[in-house]
Amino acid sequence: MVQGLVRLILLSALLTGCATRTPPAGTPDGEPVTANTELAGSPALSLLERADQARGRGDTAAAGRYLERALNMAPDSSWLYRQLAELRLQEGDAHAAEGLALRALRLAPDNREYQAQLWDLVATSRVNQGDSGGARDARARARDLRKARA
Amino acid sequence: MAKKPSKPASRRRPVKKGKKRTQRTGGRRWFSWRFIAKLSVVVLVLAIAGTAYLDAWVRQRFDSHVWQLPARVYARPTELYPGRVLSRDDMLRLLDLMRYRNAAGAPTAGSYAAQGNTLLIHTRGFRDSDGGEPSQTLRVTLGGGQVTRMKTGKGGSVGRLEPLQIGSIHPGHTEDRVFVPLDRVPPLLVKMLVATEDQDFYQHHGLSFRGLARAMLTNLKAGGLVQGGSTLTQQLVKNFWLTQDRTLVRKLMEMPMAVLLELHYSKQQILEAYLNEVYLGQDGGRAIHGMGLGAQFYFGRPLEELDPHQLATLVALLKGPSYYDPRRNPERSLARRNTVLRVARDEGALSENDYQRYRRHDLEVVPRGASPLYAFPAFIDLVRRQLARDYPPEVLGVDGLHIHSTLDVLSQLAAEKALREQLKRRDPAGDGLNGAVVLVAPAQGDVLAVVSSRRSREAGFNRALDAVRPIGSLVKPAVLLTALKQPDKYNLATLVNDAPLKVPLKNGDVWAPRNFEGDSLGPMPMLDVLVHSRNQATARLGMEVGLDKVADTLRELGVKRNIPLYPSILLGSLEMTPFEVAMMYQPLATGGFSTHLRSITDVLDKDGEPLARYPVDTEEVLDSGPAFLIQWAMQQVVDHGTGRAARAALPADVIVAGKTGTSDDYRDAWFAGFSANHLAVVWVGRDDNRNAGVTGATGALPVWTQLMKGLPQRSLSQRLPGGVKPVWMAPSGERRSGEGCDGARLYPMMEASIPEQGDGCGAATRAGKGVVEWFKGWFD
Repeated sequence: MVQGLVRLILLSALLTGCATRTPPAGTPDGEPVTANTELAGSPALSLLERADQARGRGDTAAAGRYLERALNMAPDSSWLYRQLAELRLQEGDAHAAEGLALRALRLAPDNREYQAQLWDLVATSRVNQGDSGGARDARARARDLRKARA
Repeated sequence: MAKKPSKPASRRRPVKKGKKRTQRTGGRRWFSWRFIAKLSVVVLVLAIAGTAYLDAWVRQRFDSHVWQLPARVYARPTELYPGRVLSRDDMLRLLDLMRYRNAAGAPTAGSYAAQGNTLLIHTRGFRDSDGGEPSQTLRVTLGGGQVTRMKTGKGGSVGRLEPLQIGSIHPGHTEDRVFVPLDRVPPLLVKMLVATEDQDFYQHHGLSFRGLARAMLTNLKAGGLVQGGSTLTQQLVKNFWLTQDRTLVRKLMEMPMAVLLELHYSKQQILEAYLNEVYLGQDGGRAIHGMGLGAQFYFGRPLEELDPHQLATLVALLKGPSYYDPRRNPERSLARRNTVLRVARDEGALSENDYQRYRRHDLEVVPRGASPLYAFPAFIDLVRRQLARDYPPEVLGVDGLHIHSTLDVLSQLAAEKALREQLKRRDPAGDGLNGAVVLVAPAQGDVLAVVSSRRSREAGFNRALDAVRPIGSLVKPAVLLTALKQPDKYNLATLVNDAPLKVPLKNGDVWAPRNFEGDSLGPMPMLDVLVHSRNQATARLGMEVGLDKVADTLRELGVKRNIPLYPSILLGSLEMTPFEVAMMYQPLATGGFSTHLRSITDVLDKDGEPLARYPVDTEEVLDSGPAFLIQWAMQQVVDHGTGRAARAALPADVIVAGKTGTSDDYRDAWFAGFSANHLAVVWVGRDDNRNAGVTGATGALPVWTQLMKGLPQRSLSQRLPGGVKPVWMAPSGERRSGEGCDGARLYPMMEASIPEQGDGCGAATRAGKGVVEWFKGWFD
């Protein structure tokens, strides 16, 4: 019973948010999703910065290691999965990039433009794998999201 | 006089012919100056040829010498940052495992100081694909079971301890060493070495007659063998090129080779080669070479961190690694060590004060079994197999690769302990019951721990990777999932009849599964089929959706084995290893993503330069809807069903999910379950495949529970994916109902599953204000 109550309190808040389709606090539709909206206050932010620097100098291996470490600290960060997806795409592994982008989508805040960008990323990953049908679907998803937003 | 040479000539065969000829041609005189001159020329030519040959040999071997450097496997480095769950006890345990010493102010690498809840940790530093970490002092404050504050040397808030070495891989040979360049060798070690082994080292040219004479004198005075007569160069030649046999030929070769070596190479080069080549002991089939590995093998620390008396113990070993073995012959080793210290003092390498101080120390060698190098054979086995796909054995044995693995030391120790203790409760004598545990971080697919025996240090049959056993009811989520993938036909409220059924087989037999308890409960919601692990209902559902479809689902989940299309696969006649079960459950844990399970993240060369990465590789294999539903149903297994014993033991706010499994005749007991950050698969059974007398719930679940309880857990997300809504359903499973209506239950439903029709009771709403009630039904 106590256990039930604890969970009830913990989870009902989450659920109420989702079921009534109100965007989670902090990332309202229209305001862009950034590393800061996602990772504010997390130590993962400093690793993300270092990952960006490593990517900037072409050291994708180091960038990958930084991002994976950051993900251990902030495992539900859509933003980090997105960064990893982009990195893998840059490294030429479109298959992994697609999986990571889809994972970013699962965790994405309720922000249509951000989600549309992730579908764009999925589309590019699919094109690079020769999956033109799948890419079309992904683009359509992105388009729908942007339309709904407008 | 003329007779004189004839006698020896008959004995000395190699030169007799020449001499006889000389006798004959020389006439009266038995020798002539001409003969001597000729002989000298021959000898000279031979000597020059021999020397040239030796010279080429020495140079070729020295220049092209490839140090046999086995690949070293490291655990994952401990990451410290504010918010990281880590108790003070666990932190201290880690430091102890890594042989950090407690010293005020943490003055040197490998030391720490505790000031209440704040620890100063002077790390050793390491290389990694991201550059790694310098040796620095971390200030870590722990409280409430986590890191509350953290400051690195540069003021950052994220830092890592160097990874613990957990093994080495050296296929094809048995030499093991840690190469230490001369500039990292403690100068005192070199001084001690020179003082005891070769005092003229810096003056002689490979041979030292003074040294020989002095050694003899010293030994006479001491009444025993205190000093050897060979120079360090000679000893290196002996170790490097020649066999250990004490033959005259070897002795004759040794001297010119030592001189040649000195001719071509500097004292520094010779010293470095000596320090890394020297043989210091045996560890089963592994030969301990070089001071670097010697330091680790005997003291569990890098060479740079040893104290003078420990360095002296290493030097003492040179006289006879077996005879002066500090573990087997501590008295002898101590006496010899003190001799080394004394000689070092006599030669001015050590002050009188230091001599008096360090000679009083114990040997301080670490017990052999305590080394983490042998602690995790099952995990190392996995690393070896994953490496073998990409690296040929000759590379692994000599190139000194650094393998960064995913092993988490604390998790591994917790998994070993859970299996050991729970099996001891069931089978105190340890007669037949054994088990295996695979622990994975599902998000990135990192294998955190592998245990393959209740006696985890035993290398041998790797049950975690090689025990292929029927998975029993662990297959049931796959059967349900197959149905849930057709939301227009099935949802968790759909009634399935738990009643006897007969399936005719191709061979004429009839398959008639029974429930575990022998009874049949009649029609029940699909959810309850899983929660109470009903065999007849699962079989009926599986036959309805189709064996081939269930097999497809299993393949999507990552089952690589051939899946025979027999009805019995619906109840888990399918055989898999615990590791394969972890692969199969991983998409269930992550909401539908199959991630390659990795035991390696990075491979670096011997200098720490990155060679290869094994990045996260993930693929969406299940849609978010069915993935959520099955995970939610598996949560109910732990909350209300066959896994409920775990519920009481785990913190109330940690939501986990899982499934029990028991094969026919109680041969195999399984539990596979997960939180958001840990997926653990436990198998318990007997190697002889006889009745183990335990079920998934009584044999495997306790191990799982103890393990999960001992690790920091994150709850599974309760966030409903798009297209999934909570709906009150009537008991028929066919109509919507409302809160408080007779027999109504709240289920997460995919939109395609939600019936249009209500039962006329209550609001019969899809969700509405009943959302908070969503959980009430399940938790009251």
